[in-house]
Amino acid sequence: MPVSVEVPETVEDVVGALGDDGAVVIAGGTQVMPRLNTEVTGIGTLVSLRRAGLGGITVDRDDATVGAATTLAQLGADDRLAFLRPVVESIASPSIRNLATVGGNLFVAQPYGDLAVALLALDAEADLAGAGAAARAVEDLVHDGPPAGGVVTAVRFAIPQTFRYVKAMRRRLNSGSIVTVAAALTVEDGTVTAARIALGGAGPAPPRAPSAGAARIGGPLDAERAEAAGRAALEDAEPFTDAYASAWYRGRVLPVHVRRALIGEAA
Amino acid sequence: MRSRVIELTVNEEPREFLAPPGSTLLSALREQLGLTAAKRGCAQGTCGTCTVLLDGEPVMSCLVPVETVDGASVATLEGVQRPDGALDEVQAAFLEGFATQCGFCTSGMIMAAEALLASNPAPSRDDVVRAISGNVCRCTGYESIINAILDAAERRAAVTG
Repeated sequence: MPVSVEVPETVEDVVGALGDDGAVVIAGGTQVMPRLNTEVTGIGTLVSLRRAGLGGITVDRDDATVGAATTLAQLGADDRLAFLRPVVESIASPSIRNLATVGGNLFVAQPYGDLAVALLALDAEADLAGAGAAARAVEDLVHDGPPAGGVVTAVRFAIPQTFRYVKAMRRRLNSGSIVTVAAALTVEDGTVTAARIALGGAGPAPPRAPSAGAARIGGPLDAERAEAAGRAALEDAEPFTDAYASAWYRGRVLPVHVRRALIGEAA
Repeated sequence: MRSRVIELTVNEEPREFLAPPGSTLLSALREQLGLTAAKRGCAQGTCGTCTVLLDGEPVMSCLVPVETVDGASVATLEGVQRPDGALDEVQAAFLEGFATQCGFCTSGMIMAAEALLASNPAPSRDDVVRAISGNVCRCTGYESIINAILDAAERRAAVTG
């Protein structure tokens, strides 16, 4: 079925166009277009974010704001946010990262969406426009899906003192996640005082791992506590079976990768 | 829904055409402009045989609604050869290194290679592997493709150096 394409030049016009029957947001197109190209979708109108002014990254001291239509390639190229480069480079291929956007990554089905896992660990918030336009935790959006009649305009997070990231893949490049572990840590005088850990490949939507985080707090960054956090992470995870790995395998390797992430071991 | 007039600069030539609603950049190139080097493989952004350069960056043209990139600059394999019709360094290295194999992935591979060499004229082997990580070769002859891209970098350095 042919679809109409709107390319609004303001966020207000994006929200207005989303009122059309069967209208959906398209940013990079890496999720919407495969469906349009190969399925009957019921999509009537594509509302593009390409000209809506939602790109760009601002960093003010430790606070980062990333426009929703910023591409993964642009995010990966920003030296101020270099700690996210391993996350970006673990996702898909350069020609997909030149299209795929930060906002879109929040709504990617598992076992993809590794940036969303990192943003969960960063306790990121999202700004929205349109229906229910209050700022929302990225965690809620990741679990609830795209807001009906609204659009994510930016994500905001504080640059963490210590950030760790490990993704287990079937291939070294351009592969979905077996398990992904992202951790934002605060270490004071050798003691972990805050730990937020999020997981990919560990549930229908990426979960936070509060049990694993709790196991880290109050002690040094050592192998013993990292092992304990890895075991605890299983309490927060619902590993699943797909073409990349079985639920059993994901459950076996998750603790290992939590440990590796926390103590900075090479994968 | 009506077709829309779209303007693109394609291989440095201004082009204007009517795009049916919702058509992709790939179908516009192939069906409206008659440029058939970019191929339709998976139509899901997984295989890379539709790779073209959009404003200088490699993208999967099957994932881009052409109406969203009105006014953009697009480079396809048809624009890679020299004005006198001679092959450029990447094409020559693919031909002589038997990196084309069955040929279905070749135009996407060459465009990914052109994008790499434009930004990184002396890539490492790992840089090359990363640059073509979105391009699938089902003949599985990746080694000859990687070698050809490294060879092309040396040929280009010899010309420009």
